[in-house]
Amino acid sequence: MMAFISRLKQNRALLLLMVALVVAITAMTSVDFFVDRVDRQLKRQGTALMAADLVIQNGAEFDQSWSDKAIELGLKVSRQVSFPSVLFHNDKPQLVQVKAVDAEYPLRGDFRADSIDGGSFTRGPQTRQAFVDAILKSKFFIPGREQEVSIPLGNLQLDLRGIVQEEPDRGGNLFQLAPRLMISYDDLHDSGLLGPASRARYRFLVAGEMAAVESFRNWAVSQLPVGARIIDVKNARPELRTALDRGHRFLSLATLCASLLAGIAILLATRRYVNLAIDAAAIMRTIGMTSRQVMNRHIIEILQVLVFGTLIGIFLGYIGQNVLSSLVGNWFGDSLPQPGFRPVLIGLFYGAVLLPGFSLPVLLRIRKVSPLRVLRRDIDPPDASSLFVWGLAVLSFAVLVLWQVQDYKLAVALMLALLSVMLVSVGIGRLFILLLKPSRNKSSGLGLGLAALSRHASLTQWQLAGFSVGITLLLILGVVRIDLINTWTTSLSPTAPNHFLINIQPHEQQQLQQWFEENNVINSGMYASARGRLTHIDGKLVKADEFQTDRGRRLASREFSLGFSDQLQSDNRVVAGDQWPPPQEGFTVEQDLAKHLGLKPGSTMTFDIAGQQVTAPVISLRSISWDSFNVNFFVQGSETMMLDLPVAYLNSIYLDEDPAGVMKKLATDYPAVSILDLRPLLKQIRDIMDKGSLAIETVFMFTLLAAALVTLGAVLISREERAQEIAVLRTLGASRKQVLLGVLAEFGLMGFISGVVAASLASITGYLVAIRLFGLAPVFNPWLWMTGLGIGIVTLLIVGYFSTRSLLNKPPLSVINAGV
Amino acid sequence: MGIDLHVNSAEAVALLGASGSGKSTLLGLLAGLDDPTSGTAFLLQQNLSDISEEQRSRLRLGRVGFVFQSFQLIPGMTALENVILPLQLAGVDKATEQARQLLEDVGLGRRMTHLPRQLSGGEQQRVAIARAFAGEPEVLFADEPTGNLDAETGEQIIQLLFDLRDRCNTALLMVTHDDQLAKRCDRIYRLQGGRLSETAQEQS
Repeated sequence: MMAFISRLKQNRALLLLMVALVVAITAMTSVDFFVDRVDRQLKRQGTALMAADLVIQNGAEFDQSWSDKAIELGLKVSRQVSFPSVLFHNDKPQLVQVKAVDAEYPLRGDFRADSIDGGSFTRGPQTRQAFVDAILKSKFFIPGREQEVSIPLGNLQLDLRGIVQEEPDRGGNLFQLAPRLMISYDDLHDSGLLGPASRARYRFLVAGEMAAVESFRNWAVSQLPVGARIIDVKNARPELRTALDRGHRFLSLATLCASLLAGIAILLATRRYVNLAIDAAAIMRTIGMTSRQVMNRHIIEILQVLVFGTLIGIFLGYIGQNVLSSLVGNWFGDSLPQPGFRPVLIGLFYGAVLLPGFSLPVLLRIRKVSPLRVLRRDIDPPDASSLFVWGLAVLSFAVLVLWQVQDYKLAVALMLALLSVMLVSVGIGRLFILLLKPSRNKSSGLGLGLAALSRHASLTQWQLAGFSVGITLLLILGVVRIDLINTWTTSLSPTAPNHFLINIQPHEQQQLQQWFEENNVINSGMYASARGRLTHIDGKLVKADEFQTDRGRRLASREFSLGFSDQLQSDNRVVAGDQWPPPQEGFTVEQDLAKHLGLKPGSTMTFDIAGQQVTAPVISLRSISWDSFNVNFFVQGSETMMLDLPVAYLNSIYLDEDPAGVMKKLATDYPAVSILDLRPLLKQIRDIMDKGSLAIETVFMFTLLAAALVTLGAVLISREERAQEIAVLRTLGASRKQVLLGVLAEFGLMGFISGVVAASLASITGYLVAIRLFGLAPVFNPWLWMTGLGIGIVTLLIVGYFSTRSLLNKPPLSVINAGV
Repeated sequence: MGIDLHVNSAEAVALLGASGSGKSTLLGLLAGLDDPTSGTAFLLQQNLSDISEEQRSRLRLGRVGFVFQSFQLIPGMTALENVILPLQLAGVDKATEQARQLLEDVGLGRRMTHLPRQLSGGEQQRVAIARAFAGEPEVLFADEPTGNLDAETGEQIIQLLFDLRDRCNTALLMVTHDDQLAKRCDRIYRLQGGRLSETAQEQS
């Protein structure tokens, strides 16, 4: 161990090898530890968030067979219903979301309500009792006099008994944001509120042994009524999932970039290591060691690097994930569960693939060292075949990519992109060297520099490849990162709508718009909408069970909210078909929905809207950013189509604090309009994005670190040659200034080339990645070029200066004699 | 063709010649470091053309020593480790003790833990000599052992080399430019235009 440490001190190449490995493993494991913890937490919370292990949701009541089957399997069962309703209190209407729960609720997670008498409940209300949430309480009830309150609901008068504090399965669905009124399942029928056509959502909850839940799910799939759906941990909390998936993808990408850079640093460091080892190997061979023995000595040394580097990396990764976890704070509840052992194994596997993959072919050169080298220094062992070097590097990296993204198509795309970055940078490097040949003979500093570049053509090529790939990955990641964060934050600008107004009647529309102006309320404008059922596609009757996907079946059987406007929301993008508005009447459809329903531009859709048949062609498909919180419709028709239809209007407004009581005034002036307050949800999402951005910035640091290592590696491999050359130049009478100018010209030019290569490749790749991986609209970025060239030139000038300064100050002869 | 050289055990032979005349190449061939395009070389009664590179390494192990103009110590190893290496390879018990003794013998008892770059040229060559004699070799190949040293240090090094050679009864083949040095050997050969000729040893 001590011997190994002193070897690291002596041999910078070995140290660089070790540090590169540590950085890669640290990046990898800290992200993996972190994701592991979040996953555990999400799974744990997932069931709690549903109040069950599995939920079946339907528009009609579940019959007895469901309970029988579940009980037969030994599962616990709970039923609930939720539906919107309007309460009148002091003659003011208030939209509420009624939720009726039985005595078993919740099967998972915690329910808590404060009793108005003091004390608390952990179960839902009993018959003829009601619980309300804090919002409803503050709107309707006078403080201190809650005991006297009786709530009229349909045929019933309910006693207010509790204030809901924790409701596990409340969820983030927009239209469930109306205040909560919770009643007993037993009161449901007596209330008389639920007729056959009511918009109630029935839920059947089960919990129990995993195997039993699984067999119940299988049974449920075969019994599933049309329009019903199964909800499990995977599709609970979709808004959180989407944000996390994006974040996770970015973290993976950043990790992979850091690994690739570390891999290149390992490759460069190995070259240097081997160059140093060759002389020693020749001596050992002369003394009588077999090539196998010589090789084994080095293999053991590299194995030590592998073991110590990986362990240190895993240890630092563990610390790193704690940093990440503390950055994201309590997104996921109070505390994350401790990470499992899995990331440790992953770290070991990762190191075992990365280090040999990037170092072995070069390392094997040592085996071919001839003992004759002790007499004739010019006898180099044959260079490792580039095909072998790059082939194995690419292969081992491919293993890591595939394993990280778990999606072979994406893995192939990523690999191709990265490979082309490598190939193009090497190619352009070669081209530049060729172009520079004529200027070799100039004696100026610049000439010296250019000459140096083309003289070490093969070395220069390695350095250029290293630098270019480094800067390219930094740029790509930088751009995607900024795009990602921008898209997150601009989609949620500070004045993003935070209240939805629904159910605005046509005759109120004009007045209300005027009312907004009078009261200085920022609003998104009026959106006409009507509810309709999809009856025909291309003249063929729509039958839900004929669709391939679950979502297709569900979509086919549910009611659509159709929008009517000749304009598209700013976050919409036409991805197929003609621009909007079209010359003729038609629909524009969200692309994902179109996929599930098998719609293309040119298909015709027929909707039944309040008894009227409306038929029109699909003009275009659109993408929508749902996280923009704009008013958006899956299906939007031309404005003229709504003329004879029973439409209502939607609007969204921004209203933060409301000192003037605009909200109250609005409610008084327009009692029929329902107001949904999005602020709690927006706050939660903003919080996630802020902390997510922070986590992303942190992981990005690993990539920067790895890029710095590549630079170091690239400089290190040429240090010996450079030192010799400078010594000779100085001996021959070149001034310090001339030599320095030469070196700066060399490095500056290399920086320029790398910058150009990197900026052009990053533009292309960034564009593709943004679209493919994150579903973000690409933005042309002129800064990319400035940043790429800036980073390239400035970094390399600095590196060139500092790596040369120490050599310039040494007496030339000491450099020559020492062989550095 | 033109080269016919036989070195007996315990005999010292000097090989003189101008730069580029092929002295080092010949030394490399005889030590089995290189393959001849024609002709045969025997080392320790073994025809080197009959055995592989690996077998030649094995043959050298513990029986052949080298001293070079540029010392050729392993840069990352201390003086002691450099001397231990061949002993360890030959599977000698108490390799460390022997190596220490050898370094004491060459006058470097106090410099054992130094790295080559921390030693002067003369000291480095002493380490190289200690290493060369570590296994009490039957043959020692020396390639201009004083070429990088000043006259006085060179003289000391040569004295050391010959003392140890006498002690171990080692055959020596030494490439050199130095006529005076050559005269200390039993026989002197001169390599010129690809031909090897023996020079009569003047009795001093």
